[in-house]
Amino acid sequence: MTHLLEVAGLKTHFFTQDGVVRAVDGVTFTLDAGQTLGVVGESGSGKSVTALSIMGLIPAAQGRVVEGDIRFKGDSVVGMTEDQMRAIRGNRIAMIFQDPMTSLNPVFRVGVQIAESLRVHKGMSKADANQRAVELLDLVGIPHPSERARDYPHQFSGGMRQRAMIAMALACDPDILIADEPTTALDVTIQAQIIDLMMSLQDRTGSAIVMITHDLGVVADIADNVLVMYAGHPAELGAADEVFYKPQHPYTWGLLDSLPRHDVTDKTELCPIKGQPPSLVNVPSGCPFHPRCPYVKEVCRTMVPQLRDIEGGHMSACHFSGEPGFTRTEMACAGVSS
Amino acid sequence: MLKYIVRRVLQMVPVFLGVTILLFVLTVVIPGDPIAMRMGERNMTDAQRASIRKALGLDKPLYQQYGDYLVRLSKGDLGESSRARRPVLSIFADLYPNTIRLALAAIVIEIIIGIGAGIISAIKRYSFMDVLVTLSTSILVSLPVFWLGLMMQLLFGIKFKEWGLPYLPVVNMTSDQFPPWAHMIMPSIVLASVSTAYVARIMRSQLLEVMNQDYIRTAQAKGLSPSAVIWKHGLKNAMIPVVTFIGLDLGAMMSGAILTETVFNWPGIGYMVYQSILQRDWPVVMGGVIIIVFVVMIINLLVDISYAFLDPRIRYGAESS
Amino acid sequence: MKPDISEAVPDPGDHHPDGATRASESTLTAEASSRTLLSDALRRLRRNKLAIVALVWIAIMVAVAVTADLWVPQTLGDPIKIDTTKVVGLSLNPPSLAHPFGRDDLGRDILSRVIYGARVSLAVGVIATAISVMLGLIMGALAAYYGGLADSFVMRLTDVFLAFPYILFAIALMAVLGRGFLNIFIAIGLLGWPTIARVFRSSILQVKENEYVDAARALGAGDLRIMTRHILPNAVAPIIVYATMSIGGAILTEAALSFLGMGILPPTPAWGLMLAEGRGFIYNAPHLMIFPGLAILTTVLGFVLLGDGLRDALDVKMKD
Repeated sequence: MTHLLEVAGLKTHFFTQDGVVRAVDGVTFTLDAGQTLGVVGESGSGKSVTALSIMGLIPAAQGRVVEGDIRFKGDSVVGMTEDQMRAIRGNRIAMIFQDPMTSLNPVFRVGVQIAESLRVHKGMSKADANQRAVELLDLVGIPHPSERARDYPHQFSGGMRQRAMIAMALACDPDILIADEPTTALDVTIQAQIIDLMMSLQDRTGSAIVMITHDLGVVADIADNVLVMYAGHPAELGAADEVFYKPQHPYTWGLLDSLPRHDVTDKTELCPIKGQPPSLVNVPSGCPFHPRCPYVKEVCRTMVPQLRDIEGGHMSACHFSGEPGFTRTEMACAGVSS
Repeated sequence: MLKYIVRRVLQMVPVFLGVTILLFVLTVVIPGDPIAMRMGERNMTDAQRASIRKALGLDKPLYQQYGDYLVRLSKGDLGESSRARRPVLSIFADLYPNTIRLALAAIVIEIIIGIGAGIISAIKRYSFMDVLVTLSTSILVSLPVFWLGLMMQLLFGIKFKEWGLPYLPVVNMTSDQFPPWAHMIMPSIVLASVSTAYVARIMRSQLLEVMNQDYIRTAQAKGLSPSAVIWKHGLKNAMIPVVTFIGLDLGAMMSGAILTETVFNWPGIGYMVYQSILQRDWPVVMGGVIIIVFVVMIINLLVDISYAFLDPRIRYGAESS
Repeated sequence: MKPDISEAVPDPGDHHPDGATRASESTLTAEASSRTLLSDALRRLRRNKLAIVALVWIAIMVAVAVTADLWVPQTLGDPIKIDTTKVVGLSLNPPSLAHPFGRDDLGRDILSRVIYGARVSLAVGVIATAISVMLGLIMGALAAYYGGLADSFVMRLTDVFLAFPYILFAIALMAVLGRGFLNIFIAIGLLGWPTIARVFRSSILQVKENEYVDAARALGAGDLRIMTRHILPNAVAPIIVYATMSIGGAILTEAALSFLGMGILPPTPAWGLMLAEGRGFIYNAPHLMIFPGLAILTTVLGFVLLGDGLRDALDVKMKD
């Protein structure tokens, strides 16, 4: 069966003066129509680079996809010409960026910026595209859309700008919407509104969503599947319920332990993962997580664990996942408090 | 928008007053006889001097003299040339067209070559063209313009003539031998040289900076072609400071290109002021500077207003930092 | 001022492809945390070949100009004195092996005059810039540190100065002060301060926002101490860059003033003056003009390229 989007063994590297930066190093996942995939990880785990690789927006002067494949409806995106890629970009796969304050062009009216993709991809006339832009602004909940379409971005608040970005991304009814930390730059109260908006629009349009975030809480509510990334590597991949309730990878355990939980009433302290994510120039040998892993064993230092099926499609890239007796303990926290 | 313009005009007032004070102070401290300064060097008896002093109001206290000076200014009375015996205002009214003609030609060169070179150099970053533009702009800003003028005269005027090549007129604004535009070629290139280099540098750095902005990636993610991304989304933002610079430079050129006009005997206002300084014709110098400062300030005001029109963040009253 | 939103975003590192580079840079600096800012800047400067060439060129010129008395008159001839017995035969000689730049209308060696002219230009460049920097620092500090009325007064004063057409202002000042060496320093120095004051004011305002300044004040440090210990060192980078570039500017202004007959008095050899004097011989002896002009160009270019290099090395953001 062809998936809507299939990423297999993707490696995207950047070539800098200081060496090769392995920003994405073997990421694998699939996405089907109407589904939501949550991609979770710390800064520098390769989430955004994965998204830009799918969009074909890795600047050629800095880096490129060196290995692996990205298939959209069965067609490899990696081998496409720039023209073919452009027909997909913004049309079949659209993207929302982190910072709505800087992601809109300050010198063009909001409506014009939304209409732009319609004119490029659908060949609409200026008037039709502008009319459609107003409808889209209405759809994303901007009051007085026909007046606001003539505003410039600086006249919009942060939340409204992100709504406008969503309107822009949805203009061509894309099959996939990639949202790269769409709420990180926004006020907490606005964050929930934006997520709700995206979900209700998904119900209406049937777009698949790739939700990139460092916030497990966001993903928990909305994702069908979750991919946890660490240092450019996939750590764990599976159905959201599986990943949250039966996590297999020590890194996922650490992420969950560092999350404040309202359902736990005892006085357990928050337990952050000790240490820092590694430099992507010098990724540790073996399992990239081993220097920070409380369960580290000898094999972790030498052998790179592959993502493997643990149980019914729930995958983990830990040598010991699925072994009887390999479970989450309080060890991690003990290490920190001592 | 109107508020912005009013505020901007009000800001000009103290600056203009400051300029008049500074000029007035200069007239007081300039060494030499103030009567000779205003009336020209002539032999006079003491009684004559005293009556002239009184007539000119030089016996009054300084602040009163300054007040009188301001009153005369507000009436448009800028004094009379002590040599030519003509009102300063009419001297400058006659000469300004020459300066404007040269300035406009120079601005055209700046726009075409400066912006063009800057864009090429930014788009083809690190290419041979980029290195060439970067190096030649460094050389241009280091060139003494008057020497550039002299060297061009030597090559295109004198040597080309010696070698039997088509050559250009060396000096003056008109001649029987050449059409007027031929006389403008060298002076306008010389006048444009430094600014063209600056325009190219600003254009390059602005475009490079803009192309790193998030909204450029948004435009790419929309599926726009690379040329649409650069020419529409990139250039419109990058052009704002460039246009501002060119506008301010046009203002600066309205103060007359003393060096260029001197090298090419171009009868513009800069040349006039310079000659008047050499001849100690102070009314022309003082009046000329006032006129020049006024014109430059008006042009800068227009540039600021057009800047606001170019940048919607200012036009629609976003707070500017 | 608008708060910079990007600083409020906790996770920018992963956002842009550059993030990967940034991550690697931060680990590199972490490995060599002992490396100071200064040596870091020097390392970057060394990598800039043009800036190094410029620095070497400036050093050569300074060395030649300083030692000129020891060897130039002896080998090339006196830059000022005229040998009246030989003037007729020697005047306007084109460049030759013994006189690489030729001789002027009075039979003086042009290379010798160009070398002595370097003394004038370098002295004017450095001293006038020093005057501008001192004035600018004081005014900029007054404006930024005390704010309010002092700030608006200083800023309006810079407006007035900048409203004057620059070269015209310089000529007018020279007309008031009279021609001569010392007055050139004063005139060009006086004209340069407003820009320095603005640069310094804005960098102080930036530094002032930092918490360590508040911390110092909370510890009871006085105004002067805060200024000299905390603010000046942090605002110094843009001043260094700006001063380097304005040395070139001052040299150009001096040359223009001397060319217009409003600067150095003859017979002192100054490049601008030599150009003015050589202008009359453009038809039969262009070498009188070519070499002093090249001297101005290469000297100013040296300071411009060094300034560019310093700007990149010290990572100073400037309007070009």
